[in-house]
Amino acid sequence: MEVVGSSVGFEDVGSIVAFWMLSVMTVGAALMVVAVRNLIHAVLFLILSFIGVAGLYLTLSADFVAVTQILIYAGAIPVLILFAVMLTPRAGRDNAETFLQAPGLVLAALVAVTMGAIALVTDWNEATRGPFSETAEAIGEALLDKYVLPFEIASVVLLAAMVGAIVLVRED
Amino acid sequence: MVFLAEWWDLRDLGNGVGAFLEWLGDHGPDWLPYTVSAIVGSITLLVFLLTSLLMVAWVERRLLGRIQARLGPNRVGPWGVFQSIADAIKMLTKEAITSANVDRWVFWLAPILVAVPALVVFAVLPFNEGMVLADLNVGVLFLVAIGSVTAIPIFMAGWSSNNKFSLMGAMREVAMLISYEIPQVLALLGVVIFTNTMRMNGIVGWQDEHNTWLIFLQPLAVLIYFIAGAVEINRTPTDIAEAESEIVAGYHTEYSGIKFGMFWVGEYFAGFAIAAIVATLYLGGWTLWGLEEWVPGWIIFLGKLYGLFWLFIWMRGTLPRLRIDQLMGFAWKFLLPLALINIFFAGLEVLLWQENDLAAEAVLPGFAIANLVLAVVLIVTWAQLLGRGRPQYRPTRARLVKELGAVVYGEEA
Amino acid sequence: MSMRTEPFVVNVGPQHPSTHGVFRLRLTLDGEKIIDAEMVVGYLHRSVEKLAEGRTYTQNIPFTDRLDYLSAMSNNLAYCMAVEKLVGIEVPERGQFLRVIMAEFQRIANHAMAIGSFAGECGVWFTPLMWMFREREKILDLFEMTCGARLTTNYVRIGGVSFDIPPEFMPAAKALVKELPERIAEYEALLLENEIIVVRSRDVGVLPPELAIAASTSGPVLRGSGVMWDIRKADPYAVYDRLDFDIPVGTRGDCYDRFLVRMEELRQSVRILEQALDMLPGGPASVEVPLALRPPVGEAYARIEAPKGELGFYLVSDGSPHPQRFHIRSPSYINLTPLRDMVLGLTVPDAIITLGSIDIVLGEVDR
Repeated sequence: MEVVGSSVGFEDVGSIVAFWMLSVMTVGAALMVVAVRNLIHAVLFLILSFIGVAGLYLTLSADFVAVTQILIYAGAIPVLILFAVMLTPRAGRDNAETFLQAPGLVLAALVAVTMGAIALVTDWNEATRGPFSETAEAIGEALLDKYVLPFEIASVVLLAAMVGAIVLVRED
Repeated sequence: MVFLAEWWDLRDLGNGVGAFLEWLGDHGPDWLPYTVSAIVGSITLLVFLLTSLLMVAWVERRLLGRIQARLGPNRVGPWGVFQSIADAIKMLTKEAITSANVDRWVFWLAPILVAVPALVVFAVLPFNEGMVLADLNVGVLFLVAIGSVTAIPIFMAGWSSNNKFSLMGAMREVAMLISYEIPQVLALLGVVIFTNTMRMNGIVGWQDEHNTWLIFLQPLAVLIYFIAGAVEINRTPTDIAEAESEIVAGYHTEYSGIKFGMFWVGEYFAGFAIAAIVATLYLGGWTLWGLEEWVPGWIIFLGKLYGLFWLFIWMRGTLPRLRIDQLMGFAWKFLLPLALINIFFAGLEVLLWQENDLAAEAVLPGFAIANLVLAVVLIVTWAQLLGRGRPQYRPTRARLVKELGAVVYGEEA
Repeated sequence: MSMRTEPFVVNVGPQHPSTHGVFRLRLTLDGEKIIDAEMVVGYLHRSVEKLAEGRTYTQNIPFTDRLDYLSAMSNNLAYCMAVEKLVGIEVPERGQFLRVIMAEFQRIANHAMAIGSFAGECGVWFTPLMWMFREREKILDLFEMTCGARLTTNYVRIGGVSFDIPPEFMPAAKALVKELPERIAEYEALLLENEIIVVRSRDVGVLPPELAIAASTSGPVLRGSGVMWDIRKADPYAVYDRLDFDIPVGTRGDCYDRFLVRMEELRQSVRILEQALDMLPGGPASVEVPLALRPPVGEAYARIEAPKGELGFYLVSDGSPHPQRFHIRSPSYINLTPLRDMVLGLTVPDAIITLGSIDIVLGEVDR
């Protein structure tokens, strides 16, 4: 059985249906994240949005990235956010109205206009080669061959973050 | 693997299904085979899992009874075989009480979502060569990813119940799950290092090709994965999140009726999933050194699955429960270093093998013995290092003191 | 940088699978650590002490059954000893031996329950409990053979025992006593060597001996803290001074030591039973006592080593058939008093295990 949409173009019905369903799920959930009052509900909608993004990766036949997206973004990051929410006092836990509405709207409009302009102006390339059959292998080779320096630097940054976290909460 | 690849070959039901889907593809629109295969496959998996659940629930109760020197259920039907159906009817018809101050949507959604990840895991597990719902190229990573998602519905259940015990259970559960994800992943990595592929059917094929089971080549990894898997699915000795004798029922205290039934179902599905993963990755999946030519592969696979689940039942009946901080200490201080050392040695062995282009039959037995020795040595020395052999932890008997009124507090036993 | 946390209060009980009855423990938790513990008892208060003032001395014996309902024989024994002390009755030798035999069987049955439920609270979920209940069932069968009841036996009476043992009692008792040591060895092999039980209960719920003595604890709780004190040796009653046995004592005062003490007491009880069953003399088992017994004016206090500790009855008589004051010194209630000091700083599962290791029965705590 092949993954739906393993052809690069989006000609077949399945790919189109999948793309639209996933897009609606992703964008809808993202909208709900900022719209709901309850912070825990916002986190749950965030998880849904991340799963939608993973689905979109799948339609581009990037299986490794999709599964890693679920692993990290839908599995580990919500746990992090939930722990952070649990550590805030009850009063600060609602996603209530802020008094910075006008600046927020202006900033959001600016970001939307900028990203829309970029999306419309860019000359999106058609992918010229077929889908990978082994994305994991390709990514692995790239990480340890061409991009080994950023990989190692990222590891060091993560290590620094972990050590910092431990030092911060240590009771002396 | 010599299969006939005819549609009437029962040993690999995927042939019949494949032939049917080809016929559909020829006679209908393009998207029809995919949708039909997805729907039919999902429904088949669900039906299989539910039937297994009914059977295994009865087996578990009888086996636990045997372990505890008592009969299990023996009233409903001969030897109590219909007890599971009676339980299912009870759970369906009981009133599903919803407390007043719960968070309605989350409370309602949590039991539904709790059974889903285990179900999804079965989509990548091969019951036979052609009987995989989705033979992903990143099958192993998919297992890990879905495993990490299981924490979320449990937290949702605990948090939305408006009950301090449930919240305690949920927080314990989440802490436990993220602690045990890393040893789980590292143990699975040991497999991937040897087989050079993350595709489940590829791993089974590797084991069949080299005529060995990965359990012999990676004893430490299978032990670590089995323990980490048992923790992930909240089985005793690690059912802390629902520790009955401590916090009543943990994160599912407030659930009753079919909602509780879904948690119970989710726990069993997850148990099947872990057993199936160990059977596929470490025990050769649907192959049995050539027996799969006569006995259908899926029967072999199911046999291994239930055999491993029997281990879970055995553990449940005999082992006490650890405390949450002891459990997390076990993961971070014991399993994680051992898994890392295991990967190191596995990589070393594969490097030696590939670089020198040695013959598999000569090299693999050597690796098996070396890994076994390594496993035993590591476990013993690391436990000593962590202080397990200290005198106060060794079992003793009480002292028999003769003089009345003597105080022997603090003396050596 | 420290995080601001708020402590919250959690009620363990009264409806809880492992509080041994209707017992409520209000814990104030900081995260998972206990910073305060408050016991709330009285959910099973049946005002036995007041009710007993309206009944005759013989009619009060069934009340004593229901105090520590898991060891009825011992309760009966303590009460009857108090009345006999008040009146001045001498129980014949056969009656004394029968009382000792029943008390020791009751000790084994009680400890089977205590050890089994302690292991169950460590998380083994019934397996050791079910195994030890096999022995308890056989002992309860012996009780049924003798007096017709398993739990609330009402057997030990003022002046002796209610029935002499039937002829089938001796062979059954001797057979049971013969097979008990290997069963106890089996349970020791199963539980003592279990790493998880050791790790869960070592250094958990430590009770230092000074606190134990100051709080008047008794029984396995006191002996687990290293103090050798047993009423059977200190203030011998019935025929214990003629029997040869030892007293096990712990050294660290934690839950594991109390568990070890109870296991060893099983062996010592078997030793006592072997001797008592052999030495059982003939003769009458009890003396006749009038139904409406009128003891002389005075007071008496009698105590025994019940399986849970020192069980004492304080009786004040004003010459009438009804006691004027009937007070029960229950070991479970007194043993509970240092609970707060034992659980401070522990986590909730440790607190549950500590409570289990004290081995309380709410009938006795609340009376």
